[in-house]
Amino acid sequence: MKFGIFYEISVPRPWENDIEHTVYHRCLEQVRLADELGFHSVWAVEHHFLEEYSHCSAPELFLTACAMQTKQIRVGHGIVVCVPQFNHPIRAAERAAVLDILSDGRLEFGTGRSATWTELGGMDANPDETKETWDEYTRTIPQMWTNERFGYEGRAFKMPTRAVLPKPYQKPHPPMWVAVSSPGTEVDAAERGMGSLGLTFGGFAEQEEKVNRYRRIIRDCEPAGAFVNERVATVNFLYCHPDNETGIKTGSRLTGSFGYLAAQLLPVREVHPTRSYPNPGLLAASRQQAEQTPGQGASAPEGVCIGNPDRLIEEIKKWEACGVDQINFLLNALETIPQEQVLDSLRLFGEEVMPHFADDKPATTSGARELAAAPAAGD
Amino acid sequence: MPINGNADPAKLTQYAPTMASLDTEALTLPNVKVLTVIYEIDDAVMADLIPPALHPTIPPTIHVIGMKAEDGPLGAFTIAIVRVGCRAAVRPRGLPTRAVCTEGEAASALKERWGFPITIGEPMLRQRYDRQSIEVNDGNVTVLSAQLVDPVPIGNGDLLYTAGMHLANIERDGETKPWLVQVDPEFEVSRADRGQAQIDAFDSDFWDAPDLRPVYPIVASYTTANITLPKIRYICDPMQPAISGTVAL
Repeated sequence: MKFGIFYEISVPRPWENDIEHTVYHRCLEQVRLADELGFHSVWAVEHHFLEEYSHCSAPELFLTACAMQTKQIRVGHGIVVCVPQFNHPIRAAERAAVLDILSDGRLEFGTGRSATWTELGGMDANPDETKETWDEYTRTIPQMWTNERFGYEGRAFKMPTRAVLPKPYQKPHPPMWVAVSSPGTEVDAAERGMGSLGLTFGGFAEQEEKVNRYRRIIRDCEPAGAFVNERVATVNFLYCHPDNETGIKTGSRLTGSFGYLAAQLLPVREVHPTRSYPNPGLLAASRQQAEQTPGQGASAPEGVCIGNPDRLIEEIKKWEACGVDQINFLLNALETIPQEQVLDSLRLFGEEVMPHFADDKPATTSGARELAAAPAAGD
Repeated sequence: MPINGNADPAKLTQYAPTMASLDTEALTLPNVKVLTVIYEIDDAVMADLIPPALHPTIPPTIHVIGMKAEDGPLGAFTIAIVRVGCRAAVRPRGLPTRAVCTEGEAASALKERWGFPITIGEPMLRQRYDRQSIEVNDGNVTVLSAQLVDPVPIGNGDLLYTAGMHLANIERDGETKPWLVQVDPEFEVSRADRGQAQIDAFDSDFWDAPDLRPVYPIVASYTTANITLPKIRYICDPMQPAISGTVAL
């Protein structure tokens, strides 16, 4: 089991007194500590226009700052929006390569397509087409990285042959992931030989089913990139405190705030009926999270990593038993938890929880042929 | 935390009905034609359109809805509704500012049993092969003209209808005051089209939504559906956050 931290960069109103500056720099302080404690990765979303919920519109810059201030922790695009109105694929490939170079080969490259009208409408993108454009990006970006020159004529974009430069530091290229927020997207990840970057807060049974399906399908995948990245990551909240009840109570404020904010956004499905978005995905899950009546009593929803170290160890072992390889933790929302408490929570987790989980699996890759020959996991 | 509405509920009740009883039984209206035209609206007034219990959506929206029933338990009727998109705590909702309905049993029932802010008029829902439209005139003035243009079929399951929060005067504990009544109809869709949204006329004063300007089209849909109007289960104090002000009946 590996552990990462995950940033939406939530900024509370009123947006004055340099609050965005303060929040960004608190996040960087957390990342530096996570690096010292041995966390595997730091992930940052790409979101636009999502008031209070996420002010992380230029994750490549934030992640570059993370890389410059740390030594070991990997930096994860979680995710790059693969829609032309957001990011031209050439620019996405170039920026990622530079980040990989500057971080000395620590980039994890997540891909996705956005799920809100707030963003897609704001960028004048057509929700009907995002699955197709995402698919095209996942096939072409690895070729831009691995071929000296690349030319292409497709649906989302076309380009005469050019050298897309620079090339990533990791060879053949950084590991690739797919954001999985809607049921079934783990199949898309598996079929393309990409990591499943879970972004919803489902329970154990749902996750186990997803993992089993993913492992089964990836054995016969056609890799979008030059290699298979067979890994399953899920997202969770983290608030670790010596006293279980205090941990749950404080952590519940975090989960409730996050879900409440997410519910204010406009999912594509609510206003723009399309088969491309068959369900509200992350937002529906977050809404459920917010309805768990935060801060009352000493119980916490199944699988949520809030409480004392013993409780967290117990919950994480259950995630491990589901076949999850990595958990990425959200540490704060709306600055609900004071910075010192966030740092204390991270320290306690690093000292008392992380040592219970061996980190002996290879970091990233396995070849498609080796996978095909390997016994099925989860069968 | 998210922006709350700041409208005084007393000022939103110009067309709010008085509901003598909340003990309403569910009722199914068969084969109703439903046109929905969704627009983003100017954010300058978004908080002025809804009471403190609700949050505007991000971005703020209106739903212009036209419904036409040829028969059924309430007889034939046509209704036009303007709703502001919002959230009651974490729940997607719409707050109707005004509705115009043809005269008859339906107008009375929708107003008295489900709290629709109805006035009587002659809304016209028209179906053409290249468009569907809803139009409302006030005397010689067109106060609403909204269309779905270039319809294409979509899956019946692709649509999501959100519940309404209808402001109505209700007597509780000896006091009559405005409450938000949660009306969450079920839609059993048998046919659905989607197309471009187009609003050609919108008189915000007529619709009791002062200074509301539809500014950016999102999408329009046209469906045939069996609509079951529900038994009322929840009401909400418009002055309190919905998370604490909701009352189960």
